[in-house]
Amino acid sequence: MTEYDLIVIGAGTGGYVAAIRAGQLGLKTAVVEKQTALGGTCLLWGCIPTKALLEHAHALKVVQQAKEWGVTSGGAPIAATGVSIDMAQVQARKDRIVSGLSKGVEFLFKKNKVEWIKGTARLTGKGGVEIYEGDPSTGSGQVTQSLRARKEIVVATGSAPRSVPGVQIDRQRIISSDEAIQLRDVPKTIIIIGSGAVGVEFASIFRRFGSDVTIVELLPRLVPNEDEAISAELEKVFRKQGITSHTGAKVTSANPSGDGVDVALQLAGGEQKTMHVDYVLVAAGRGPVTTGLNAEGVGLRMEKGFIVVDPLYKTNVAGISAIGDVITLGSGPHPQLAHVSSAEGIVVAERVAGREVRPINYDHVPACTYCDPEIGSVGLTEAEAKARGYDVRIGTFPFGVLGRAKMAAEPDGFVKIVADKKYDELLGVHMIGARSTELVAEATAALRLESTVEELIRTIHAHPTMAEAVGEAAHAVHGAAIHI
Amino acid sequence: MPTDVVMPQMGESIAEGTIVRWIKKVGDTVDRDEPLFEISTDKVDAEIPSPAAGVVSEIRAQEGETVAVNSVVAVIGGAASAKAPAAKAAEPAAAAPKAQEPPKPEPQADGAPPKAVPEKSVPRDAPAPAPQAAPPPARATTTEDVIRQRSSPLVRKIAKEHHVDISQLHGSGIAGRVTKADILAFVGGQDRGEGQVGRAGRVGGDTEREAFAEPPAKLATDRTEKMSPMRKRIAEHMVLSKHTSAHVHSVFEVNFSRVAHVRDAKKAEFDRSGAKLTYLSFIIRAAVEALQAVPVVNASVDGESVVYHKDVNIGIAVALDWGLIVPVIKNADEKNLLGLSRAVADLAARARGKHLKPEEVAGGTFTITNPGVFGALFGMPIINQPQVAILGIGNIEKRPVVIDDAIAIRPMAYLSLGYDHRVIDGAVADEFMSKMKHSLENWDLP
Repeated sequence: MTEYDLIVIGAGTGGYVAAIRAGQLGLKTAVVEKQTALGGTCLLWGCIPTKALLEHAHALKVVQQAKEWGVTSGGAPIAATGVSIDMAQVQARKDRIVSGLSKGVEFLFKKNKVEWIKGTARLTGKGGVEIYEGDPSTGSGQVTQSLRARKEIVVATGSAPRSVPGVQIDRQRIISSDEAIQLRDVPKTIIIIGSGAVGVEFASIFRRFGSDVTIVELLPRLVPNEDEAISAELEKVFRKQGITSHTGAKVTSANPSGDGVDVALQLAGGEQKTMHVDYVLVAAGRGPVTTGLNAEGVGLRMEKGFIVVDPLYKTNVAGISAIGDVITLGSGPHPQLAHVSSAEGIVVAERVAGREVRPINYDHVPACTYCDPEIGSVGLTEAEAKARGYDVRIGTFPFGVLGRAKMAAEPDGFVKIVADKKYDELLGVHMIGARSTELVAEATAALRLESTVEELIRTIHAHPTMAEAVGEAAHAVHGAAIHI
Repeated sequence: MPTDVVMPQMGESIAEGTIVRWIKKVGDTVDRDEPLFEISTDKVDAEIPSPAAGVVSEIRAQEGETVAVNSVVAVIGGAASAKAPAAKAAEPAAAAPKAQEPPKPEPQADGAPPKAVPEKSVPRDAPAPAPQAAPPPARATTTEDVIRQRSSPLVRKIAKEHHVDISQLHGSGIAGRVTKADILAFVGGQDRGEGQVGRAGRVGGDTEREAFAEPPAKLATDRTEKMSPMRKRIAEHMVLSKHTSAHVHSVFEVNFSRVAHVRDAKKAEFDRSGAKLTYLSFIIRAAVEALQAVPVVNASVDGESVVYHKDVNIGIAVALDWGLIVPVIKNADEKNLLGLSRAVADLAARARGKHLKPEEVAGGTFTITNPGVFGALFGMPIINQPQVAILGIGNIEKRPVVIDDAIAIRPMAYLSLGYDHRVIDGAVADEFMSKMKHSLENWDLP
């Protein structure tokens, strides 16, 4: 029986960050991971590989516009129609990035004396964790090690793609994001179920690579978690790019047939439609992973499969905490985002090490979607702010007016600021357009510091940058932007 | 010339005080009368103003240290006031303190001795600012000062609108930063129902309250925090009371229709006087009358004797973010509704601002606590020793009641009396409560 201060289950962004922080604070720490590499969903299956693909898509976009940019090949113009992407090279480069980053986590573990234990973890109660080789779904297999946590066990087992009724993911033609990042060919046609971040990012990737893309979203608008104005802009730009969006629609059945899938759709008006496509990508959300963990066995309180925690991530069982995609705080959906998990991991590690910690304010979590155009948002949407009773003031400024946007040939999108009239409080900042995922950092700091709109107006934004739109949108809240 | 800062004597019977927090650090410039440190004695918590202007050159007692009254806790180099009026008239005043070397006790050699400063170091045994012929430079609260008080733009904006002095607030943010939640909680009384109230509850807010019940045994993972001096005193006091008195509680239901009516009738008049007429003022008034009618409730136990107090001094429990304090309305029997309203508002505000004097929390003969404001139907309060009874006010709300065999809607509340059965028997307690009930239900418009 090996003893540790802290045992983390799962080496995703939540788990590995918790472990590194614990190591820095002098706790003897181990991380149990059943995959063969460190990094979890974000690094191996999610954020990192998809963003790598999106950078390829962006490179392709620039080359497709070579004529506009004046780029020639051997003195001859490059025709957009003659340009295509080499998927083998794309995959090789992406894999290199992923494995490099995963090795980086290994290095950080060594540096901070965090031990990596390979296998699947099962809770046995009273600080005990059994490691076994075998099938987590049955929880059976050869027990290889027994560990004990002196201070705390942190469950950071994450999430996995989840399907919708009537659609069975077969990993061949009906796929999840796990398979989509590994495709060796560019689909001619693809239906994407769901228009959250995963759905619209793959829509942008495949459209740019040349696929005929159809998005099917159950709710009445794309990216339904974003501000309504963002959804409207994205739908408009997607339409321009040739992506078909069916909102208020659902896939009623999807059956593999030959080299593709037969799909039945029910559209917004109730109209039925059938399609035959190369692939169906299910991007309808992610469910918690607790199989083989024996969570119920040790008495953890669960809600719809998620582990229930308090604002400092303690479960109802003393000595067990949980963070990341696997948890619910019991008050509305908990954001399944890598940076949220790692922030939670740091809170738990510091708490266990005896540091003073504070709960995270989930109203100040930035969300980034890397579709083309990108979306960055933080804080309350206009609708949420109104629902909370604020007297809302809005300021909007389009990127297209800015010199920088013109130079970059990225005219789409805008910055929208949601503020409270009474105290001039900054409540939310929502942006769609090139580099929005970077620009949202300023807005996040402003919210964190409890800024007023006035402060944002007085903040000098460098020229020429896309960030000027943030300052201008703040001006707009008070009545008048300068450059429009 | 350096000035010694001493632990002030906060009351006759007080021999020592604990430094809770240094508001200024070594090297900071401080104005005369600007809050310098915060202390906690066995009577009150208070902010202590600086006896002189200058740069804090030395801090001798650290936070958490308990020191005897009149011992030197810090030294202020009497420089700032000496330099400002001298030569460099062109230099903006605000820049002057900055230019100074922090710890150096300014040699007052050069040039003409500044005439504006006859300040021969404030006498060490008189912490209260002695009247001065020539006042020190005005205590301008500049924007810079406000910003340095660790808050946020939003907090400053809210503070301005509500005329709140941020320095009086307890900051729950990083390094004591006053956050939106802090100031909204502070102004909450005046400002409720604004939409924002719900949001703090969602996640932020008071975690420990929301947390799961702790396991009985202390785990290594648990957070251990030293009790504040105030918390320790409350703990000792409550346990002592439970050990001392034979607590019994009696609950009466009171119809507040009449009081509501009178209150509505007098509201405008009170508004004109700038006071707020609350139900509490009526209840205090009724309690005074009942105490005079049943004197044993306004008494205390001294060994084997019962001491009947002539004065009626009513303590009002005031909940603070950091604990609880019971300021006392002295000679409450001499005050009318307007006087009581004013006294309650004044004491509560100063309790929250840490501006109570020790004598203002002493000498109570009876206590009133108001758990109803937090929604309680009624409380079972613990007696504030050495008193023998305490009144708890439940939530006043409209309820269906039977009047003459008909169901009517009336503003009702439960009043509970916690009393010491050593000296007060049930019948006597109920007599007291009946008197209160009768006064409140039959209030005459004077």
